[in-house]
Amino acid sequence: MAGDRKLRWTGTGLGILGVAGMVLLMWQVAFWVPTEATMGVVQRIFYVHVPAAWVGCMAFGIVALTSAVYLWLRDERLDMAAQAAAEGGMVFTTVMITSGPLWARVAWGTWWTWEPRLTLTLLLWFIYLGYFMVRASTENPERGKRFAAIVGIIGAFNIPLIHLSVVWFRSLHPQPVVVKPEGPTLHPAMLQTLMTGLVSFTLLFFAGFLLRYALEHSIRGEVPTAAPSRAHAYGRPDTMEGVS
Amino acid sequence: MRPVRVTVPLVALVLLCALEVSGQSPGGNLGAQSLRPYWHVFAAYAIAWLLIGGWIISISRRLSKLEKRPTD
Repeated sequence: MAGDRKLRWTGTGLGILGVAGMVLLMWQVAFWVPTEATMGVVQRIFYVHVPAAWVGCMAFGIVALTSAVYLWLRDERLDMAAQAAAEGGMVFTTVMITSGPLWARVAWGTWWTWEPRLTLTLLLWFIYLGYFMVRASTENPERGKRFAAIVGIIGAFNIPLIHLSVVWFRSLHPQPVVVKPEGPTLHPAMLQTLMTGLVSFTLLFFAGFLLRYALEHSIRGEVPTAAPSRAHAYGRPDTMEGVS
Repeated sequence: MRPVRVTVPLVALVLLCALEVSGQSPGGNLGAQSLRPYWHVFAAYAIAWLLIGGWIISISRRLSKLEKRPTD
């Protein structure tokens, strides 16, 4: 279990760095960044909403990638990685879909509106809720893992749609201010604060991801799986000790 | 005891930041806005801390519990 210990220490280290980044973010949001002229103070939700959206989408990208390779190789490690990423993705997407309405209530005068980006984001959240439901719904765990992998791959097709929905459709949601062809159009202090949020949230996601992976590895190490993986048949080891 | 030691300073930090933000001028027009936006900012950050912190702490606790369990 030396591999698990290494993962735990790395996860804890990333977590400490992430928390330090979050404290810095709080300081920047409270004392440093200028208040936006039209929206006022409520615009500060942007520094938690956008990083949560970024991490949520990145997590589901990881789910899709690891799920696709899992379906090919049937390597348990990939399924564990997909599960850990999906759990993190759910957490950060929940932060995104709760912070958004808090901003919208003040900026738009309504908590929610069925405009394309919001609707697609809610759909993404439900797809990944389905990911966990499908995984747990079959009596054969191997089948559950395969079905969940398929849901994970299908769900990721929604991510580019979410990003492009504000460009393709008439949308209430603000247009991108950072990822655009002509470069970011944010005030430098606002961009710096946003970067702090992006880095902190990414660190916290990978901290949780590694710890969740180590936990799943410990659990599955105690319970033997129903069928030998295809990776095992190719001569690849199923445990992290083999790669470290 | 450990969660309390972690949670209390975090809640204090969030409250301090919320108070500081509430003292700042929103776009130079302090009288025109109610306190609602400040509470929304506070709620958004509190939810982020609680959800992300809760997720990581719950994994750590489950890992510790699993490690402490005697192996047969």
